Amino acid sequence: MRRRGIVLLAIAAVTASTALSGCGGGSEDPAGRTTVTFWQQKFEDYQQAWFKKHVDAYNATQDKVKIDLQVVPADTWAQKLKAAQAAGKAPDIATTSYGNVAPGVAQGQFASLDELLPAEAFTDVKDNVKGFVTVNGKHYAYPMLVEPSTVLYYRTDLVTAAGLDPNSPPKTWADLVQWATKLTKGNVKGMTIASAGPDLGWSSWGLQYNACGRLPVNDDWSKSTATEPCFEKLLDFYKTLYSGGLIPKTPKVGYADGAPYGQGEVAMMAGGSWVIGQLKNDFKAMVPKTAVAAFPSFDGDATKTTATLGGWTLTVDAKSKGKQQAADFVKYLLAGDPALMADFFKTSGFSKYTVRTSVDQALASNPDATSDPFMKVISEKVVPFGRQEPAYPWDISLAFGTAIESAMKGKADVPTSLKTAAAAIDDVIKKQSLAGTAPK
Amino acid sequence: MTALDSRVAAPADPAPDGAPPHGRRRPARHGRDNRTAYLMIAPMVVLLAVFVMWPLVYSLYLSTFKISFYTEPEFVGLDFYQYVLESPRFWESIWVGLYYAVLTVPTGIVIALLLASFIKTLSRRAASYMKTTVYLPAVVSTVVASVLFVFMYQDDGVVNAMLGVLNHGPVNWLNDPSYALPAIAVPGIWLSFGVTTLILLAGLLDIPENYYESAQLDGAGFFQRLFRITIPLLKNVLLYLLVTGFTLAIQLFELPLIMTNGGPVDATMTPNLYIFASFRDLTPYATSFSLTASLMLFAVLGAISLVIFRLVNSDKAIDG
Repeated sequence: MRRRGIVLLAIAAVTASTALSGCGGGSEDPAGRTTVTFWQQKFEDYQQAWFKKHVDAYNATQDKVKIDLQVVPADTWAQKLKAAQAAGKAPDIATTSYGNVAPGVAQGQFASLDELLPAEAFTDVKDNVKGFVTVNGKHYAYPMLVEPSTVLYYRTDLVTAAGLDPNSPPKTWADLVQWATKLTKGNVKGMTIASAGPDLGWSSWGLQYNACGRLPVNDDWSKSTATEPCFEKLLDFYKTLYSGGLIPKTPKVGYADGAPYGQGEVAMMAGGSWVIGQLKNDFKAMVPKTAVAAFPSFDGDATKTTATLGGWTLTVDAKSKGKQQAADFVKYLLAGDPALMADFFKTSGFSKYTVRTSVDQALASNPDATSDPFMKVISEKVVPFGRQEPAYPWDISLAFGTAIESAMKGKADVPTSLKTAAAAIDDVIKKQSLAGTAPK
Repeated sequence: MTALDSRVAAPADPAPDGAPPHGRRRPARHGRDNRTAYLMIAPMVVLLAVFVMWPLVYSLYLSTFKISFYTEPEFVGLDFYQYVLESPRFWESIWVGLYYAVLTVPTGIVIALLLASFIKTLSRRAASYMKTTVYLPAVVSTVVASVLFVFMYQDDGVVNAMLGVLNHGPVNWLNDPSYALPAIAVPGIWLSFGVTTLILLAGLLDIPENYYESAQLDGAGFFQRLFRITIPLLKNVLLYLLVTGFTLAIQLFELPLIMTNGGPVDATMTPNLYIFASFRDLTPYATSFSLTASLMLFAVLGAISLVIFRLVNSDKAIDG
């Protein structure tokens, strides 16, 4: 009996240790290969295919490291990552947005890549993007792409039918409201834009910059500036679109999804540049009838920011046991042969923008890239004026997004909504001790 | 054989001469009985200790730290309790939970009581058919029900189409702060009234028919019979339904997560959804805050259950 118990205990111990070693980062498999876990947030289908293709290729070209690619849906990403971190099983490599780089560094979450990648890897990165992945002079992420958060898409056929000139898109917010009013007919709404607090929290960053030249927090993150009068016109703009019935009141999908435009439910759309890829892949018939333009500025000044430059990077976990192996893969995928990333941008339908000079050069010889009308407009009229995403905690963005939603849906008037947001932001600043912690 | 059985069985072994029966053997038998009883409850005690008590105690301990998975946790005492208590969004979420409970629990019980009374009057075959029909929503997945109702509430959905027949414009059911929670309450009631109906039907069938016959002979009308016989004799069942209904309703999660994601403007942000949304933020603050908010919700739910117990005094047993 006693002997049987000991045997059972031994089996349990072996099973547990096998299970644990299989789940941990930077572990070795029976063939002596180091397994590096790579969590990729789920994006458009073609991206999953692209990542898989190159992970398989990397695994096939060498026998020392095996990259274990796992695709994680966006809506379960945060809780899954936290649970993994709590259990000490965070992925060795993860997709991380620019906005999460600085907060992650503040928590000690990422390994510095300067010690793991050759210096040339970063000299190839464009100067305006380097700052997105640099904290206190060190690089903590390798950038993959940038994509402007807000671009105006419009249906040229409907615009012409409404007696408007498709070659002269709206320049001010007032023009846009006028266009939306004329284009709202029957079941087709004039346009679509975010209307839920969480979506507004991030998709309105560019328009916050446009309205006030700043976000609703002062430069050293010590005080909210949400009650500045310039933000009132931003809330009024959203309120006009919503209360005027110019946008769908019960949207079926979130801001990031361009399906309502692709399905012909709206004549115009505020959407990220990534929607171009969605249209080219899923709604091909809509592409010839679509034009893009920079999102209008409140006063018509096209040089003012209307979009933030969002995008994705790869980061290496600070606790990874295979940091060097993880960094080697990051180098292979993002910082190596420019043809690899050029292939990615081609697959994306040129809906995302390069971060490396050498990839630009690789694309310069590609006639598809140089002649793409969407890419030309966004590269010349949106990207140069785009700003970096804020690095402050999400609670601040959510508080401001909720203020816009509150004003849109009549929960409170514009000044009261902004006052509530300011109080919430000041509360976040106080409780999370943010004053003076803004990255420089 | 349980501990209770052994205690009940003991007096049935009288000593013929007044002396303790089997004086030397009884303690040994008691010991054996106790050991059996402890062994039988041991798995549950161990499971409770491992999966409930220890996590609860450890959570209380952890709530005194600002938790980081990469740096040393920082001891902050009771700071996070203060942060939760000061958080307007936490209290608003409690109110949303209570409002949802008020919308769904009494309505669900009234509908279920009416249905149960109706089923009681039916023939055996018709009652069996009705019971199956009424219980059907309870086996529908909440996720499926949520998606169905989202489609029904669209501008061009069936609900607004019916309103259109009555010459009323489309209502923005899920995106208007005043309508969103009542709109979610409808599938909430639909999903839960099947179980409530069956429980109430069981309670109704337990009330002896001769009570009603006597009351009728004395000239009692429908409402007198309802308020003097049915409801008093269903008191324990109603108490159970109220307590479990309120605590479950306040903890609502899936319906608002799928149908509105807590919006518009937090109008459907129930406490559990609020805690979940807080946890999804990647900062150490958010981790500790959501943990402490969960513990506070535990206290709030306990307090609400206590209030309900106080309001509706429970009777131990009423002889049928």
